[in-house]
Amino acid sequence: MNHPDAIEILLVEDNPNDLQLTLRALKKARLGNHIQVARDGAEALDYLFAEGEFAGRDILDTPKIVLLDLKLPKIDGIEVLRRIKADARTRHIPVVVLTSSKEQRDVVESYRLGVNSYIVKPVDFEGFSDAIRDLGMYWLVLNQAPRLEG
Amino acid sequence: MSVVSSSRVEDAAIPSRGLAGWVRYALAVGLVLLTLRVRLSMSPVLADNPTLVIFTVPIILSAYLGGFWPGVTATITSLAASAFFLLPPYVSLKVDAVSSLWQLVIVAVAGLAISGICGWLHASRRQAEEVIHRLRAKEDELKEALKAADELRTALDDHAIVAVTDARGKITFVNDKFCTISKYSREELIGKDHRIINSGHHPKAFIADLWATISSGRQWNGEIKNRAKDGTFYWVATTIVPFFGEDGKPRQYIAIRADITERKIAEEALIQSDQRMRLATEATAVGIWEWSLVAGTIRWDAQMFKIYGVAPTADGIVPYSMWSDAVLPEELKEQEARLQATVRSGVGGARDFRIIRASDQECRHIHAVETVRRNAKNEIEWVVGTNRDVTERKRIEAALQDSERQFRTMADSIPQLAWIARADGHIFWYNRRWYEYTGTTPEQMEGWGWKSVHDPEILPTVVEAWGRALREGASFEMEFPLRAADGRFRVFLTRVEPVRDDDGRVVRWFGTNTDVDALKEAEDKVQRLNTELEKRVAERTAQLEAANGELEAFSYSVSHDLRAPLRAVDGFAQAVFEDYGPLLPEEGRGYLKVIRSGAQQMGCLIDDLLAFSRLSRASLKRGTVDMNYLVRDVVASLDVLSMARRVDFDIGDLPPCQGDAALLRQVWQNLLSNAFKYTGRRERAVIEVGATRAEGGGVVYHVRDNGAGFDMRYADKLFGVFQRLHRVEDYEGTGVGLAIVQRIVHRHGGRVWAEAALDRGATFFFTLNDIVSP
Repeated sequence: MNHPDAIEILLVEDNPNDLQLTLRALKKARLGNHIQVARDGAEALDYLFAEGEFAGRDILDTPKIVLLDLKLPKIDGIEVLRRIKADARTRHIPVVVLTSSKEQRDVVESYRLGVNSYIVKPVDFEGFSDAIRDLGMYWLVLNQAPRLEG
Repeated sequence: MSVVSSSRVEDAAIPSRGLAGWVRYALAVGLVLLTLRVRLSMSPVLADNPTLVIFTVPIILSAYLGGFWPGVTATITSLAASAFFLLPPYVSLKVDAVSSLWQLVIVAVAGLAISGICGWLHASRRQAEEVIHRLRAKEDELKEALKAADELRTALDDHAIVAVTDARGKITFVNDKFCTISKYSREELIGKDHRIINSGHHPKAFIADLWATISSGRQWNGEIKNRAKDGTFYWVATTIVPFFGEDGKPRQYIAIRADITERKIAEEALIQSDQRMRLATEATAVGIWEWSLVAGTIRWDAQMFKIYGVAPTADGIVPYSMWSDAVLPEELKEQEARLQATVRSGVGGARDFRIIRASDQECRHIHAVETVRRNAKNEIEWVVGTNRDVTERKRIEAALQDSERQFRTMADSIPQLAWIARADGHIFWYNRRWYEYTGTTPEQMEGWGWKSVHDPEILPTVVEAWGRALREGASFEMEFPLRAADGRFRVFLTRVEPVRDDDGRVVRWFGTNTDVDALKEAEDKVQRLNTELEKRVAERTAQLEAANGELEAFSYSVSHDLRAPLRAVDGFAQAVFEDYGPLLPEEGRGYLKVIRSGAQQMGCLIDDLLAFSRLSRASLKRGTVDMNYLVRDVVASLDVLSMARRVDFDIGDLPPCQGDAALLRQVWQNLLSNAFKYTGRRERAVIEVGATRAEGGGVVYHVRDNGAGFDMRYADKLFGVFQRLHRVEDYEGTGVGLAIVQRIVHRHGGRVWAEAALDRGATFFFTLNDIVSP
């Protein structure tokens, strides 16, 4: 459903600094509205599958993109990715892993689970905000999201 | 007296040819007298009437039974009786009245006539009886003959196979044996011709000839192969006899056959076995001779002539001298004696003697075997034998004994234990050293006595290995302990070699045992040490791997966890710059820049350090690497960054090499990005990549740039970790890139070096696989 208040971005990030910087970058790219933040994997899954504190939410009301960090407390990013891609109701949501890990095994595993994109967070902020901006532009504006009927 | 029935009378009459002569006359008289008596007793009724007619009865009877003359006798007697008793005057032969006379005359005439007729009847009857008798006799004869013929036929039927065909060859009769042997039923055969049992074995000419013979009226004899109903074959010896009709042409053919299948099979088997024997004797070069004691002749087969080197005679018969002349004179007497013994005792035997071969006067060794053949009376009729030229074998034996002698001489002088065994493993000689060491005697050791000086626990293994070697005819080596004279065991290395004859058969085994006891101990020690060492190495390796694992985990988390705060530093410095920059003096803004650059620098450092440390741990994945492809790929990614700058890449043709593609890519990446970086100040950067062949065949790759270059005095510092030859504000970098290059190149067994001049560019060279790892 595409009503004007729909959440567009689910940002899953546990590091407060990174979180702040990412939000700053998104704002700079004028994508700052309609962001749902989850501070760990469990919260992310609860939101997506309308459980826990998010019970009652319409599951089919999916965000346009999930920005997923891998190193998360409680349930880690890989597991969240797996759950998203395993469920028919959420499989279609583009997931972009945004992580500082360049480890090949993380890359491989993510792609194996069906991640749409894997971005390594650059250290310098310019690069970082450029990456965010490009991401946003691409997935939210350029890319066509499927329109699911309820 | 009643008249008996005629048949009874006939039966009674025939065997004795009727009544005897006097009986007939007596009967005639008797009958008349009887009649007279009857007449006289009838006097009261008949009064004086003579009734001479009454005498016709005895006359008839006499004539019928006895013939003409008895009838006449009866007539005369009747006349007399009548005249005497019945005609007046009575009791006298005289007669008074003429009528009485005439009565007598009538009786006489009647009597004669009756006698005549009856006599003729009698004669006829007698003739008929005779004929019947003869006929009966003939009938009996015929019956006998028929019985005999029947018995003959049964005998024939039992023995022979009989078939009768008509003139056209169609079967009209078959006996039971025919049906049995041909397996057809009578119904199936009658009406067919002999094609029904044609086997196809005989050519058409054969059959045609048979027909020609019998249809021309001649008997045919021969052997025919026939086919039974079920397809099996049988042989018969056949005689076909034609029987003629009234027109003189054959009317029917009777074929009598005997089953000779068994005989034929036996014949066939005999021919085959004969052939086989001939082949066998030819193949084995065995000559066969036969001496007929009865005929006094000796016959040789072809092989015998060859052995003795004489031309064969026409029929193989040779004189005794042919053999006796060939035998060496000094041996002849003994051989002849042995031959005579065989003839006398009937027991054959084998013997060896030498001959002079006639064809080349060479002395040959002969091995002869003979036996006798007896006849039905168990007398010896034949002596048969074989001769075989065994010269070669004898020569080999002699050579073997010679070499054995040499071996023994040598064996007795060496420090090892040695022995010789026969082909079957039976050891018949040990050298002196063996007895000295084991303290045993030849009697104890002969054959398989060596088992007693072995360790009982190890003995089964030894026996098995020895057995296997014997079977396969293979040499073998083995170590095992042997007991010394003092009871202690020492380890010996045993080597056994077979000795073969010209045919490749093993005839001897030569073995040696070398004392390796001291050696063995040393070996064992080394072995123990090795095991110990390996264990330690394994432990160390495990430790190392564990350490590596820890390091891996460490660097993983380091790379991740260190970057996050750096990001924060850089990010928020930028945030301050953006949000509050205008509020800050120039200097303050500069400080922020420094903070940022520091953070970024640290980020690079972390990456490089991580890559560097990983290099030594990662295993080299060797494969063929297409260097052209790698370089072009790296250049392409650099090209993207060139943007405003003018960078010319000149890439030559690079030969492929063996190595890890990912690591080599890193090498090119680092070298090329260096070249790229240090030509940053040039208006036109020229970076050249190429490869040359060194003497020795190796390839030297190089990257040449026209950038800042460096002072050769500090060249040795180039590849050190964190070592830089330029200031960071001039050219950024961590100083790890070349260290990485060097480490990778070294891991490939190559070398890396550089040549440069300040401000005149630098060239970096590297080789791979100088040291080829085993």
